[in-house]
Amino acid sequence: MKLDGFKKIESIKKLQKYKLPIAQTIFIFDFKKQEKEIDDFLKNKRIVTIRSDKIGSTDFCPLSIGCPRNKAKTLIKKISSKGYAVILQQYVPVRSKASGNILILKKHILVELMGTGALSLMSREGEIEEQIKFRKKDLTEVSHFGKRLIRKRELINILKMVKKMPVYNLIEFTLRNNGLYFWQIKEDKTAGQLEGSQNR
Amino acid sequence: MNSKQKITLKGIPASPGGLVRGKVKIINSLSGIRKLRKGDILVSSFLTPDFLPFMRNISLISGIITDKGCSTCHAAILARELRIPYIAATFYATKTLKNNAEIIMDSDSGIIYET
Repeated sequence: MKLDGFKKIESIKKLQKYKLPIAQTIFIFDFKKQEKEIDDFLKNKRIVTIRSDKIGSTDFCPLSIGCPRNKAKTLIKKISSKGYAVILQQYVPVRSKASGNILILKKHILVELMGTGALSLMSREGEIEEQIKFRKKDLTEVSHFGKRLIRKRELINILKMVKKMPVYNLIEFTLRNNGLYFWQIKEDKTAGQLEGSQNR
Repeated sequence: MNSKQKITLKGIPASPGGLVRGKVKIINSLSGIRKLRKGDILVSSFLTPDFLPFMRNISLISGIITDKGCSTCHAAILARELRIPYIAATFYATKTLKNNAEIIMDSDSGIIYET
């Protein structure tokens, strides 16, 4: 299957390319042909996450962050019939240590975090609890505001995994007690404007 | 800036664009957007996705200040795309600032001054 144009799927593939940990995931392009693969995925899972992706679509893509297994196939079939590719993922509860965005700048790395809750609360509703700016070269903290959600050592270990990514990439992640999950990488072409700012 | 200028609030410089002077317009619903005039500074709790389609039409405003928000949220990315100076995460802008008061926002440092 050619992936050109499936922005979210390409983004997940990119995470895999960089060997970043992701939630168990399969992509569904043809419900009928992949039905067995879907059944195998759903085995032993009580809840799954269903997202969708469409070539060139700027519309709101249907999703269910926590879909019960018995309703999953119906929803996947419905979304597929509307021409979407489906991203079927292991459910990662929103109760986490922290979720957030890492923005790679030329000389700095900007990290913005929130505690428990879906990451979309930060991206869409502006719910931020912590912002930290690190010097990229040696991962020294340059500025900080808000409450400390994650131990610095843990955060630096995460930054070591992404610091070599191209500038102006925005990487979404969730840190839980039992694991670290990366969700997507997006390019933010406007991020260059933050280079000279004095983020506190 | 004049060193005696009184600092009213601090926030995150989510869309840096230098010093901006303008009148505060506190807007907390889409219908309030009609009140905006050229050069105003839009002050809101946050620019939720409902607001974003209208941001392209309100590019005549000189700046944006919100209680919530950050540098990587959708509103900040759009503000940078439209080159509108934006200070996010002030926590108290809608409570502290007064409608029609003239203020100066330093969108590079995230500081808001009384005039």
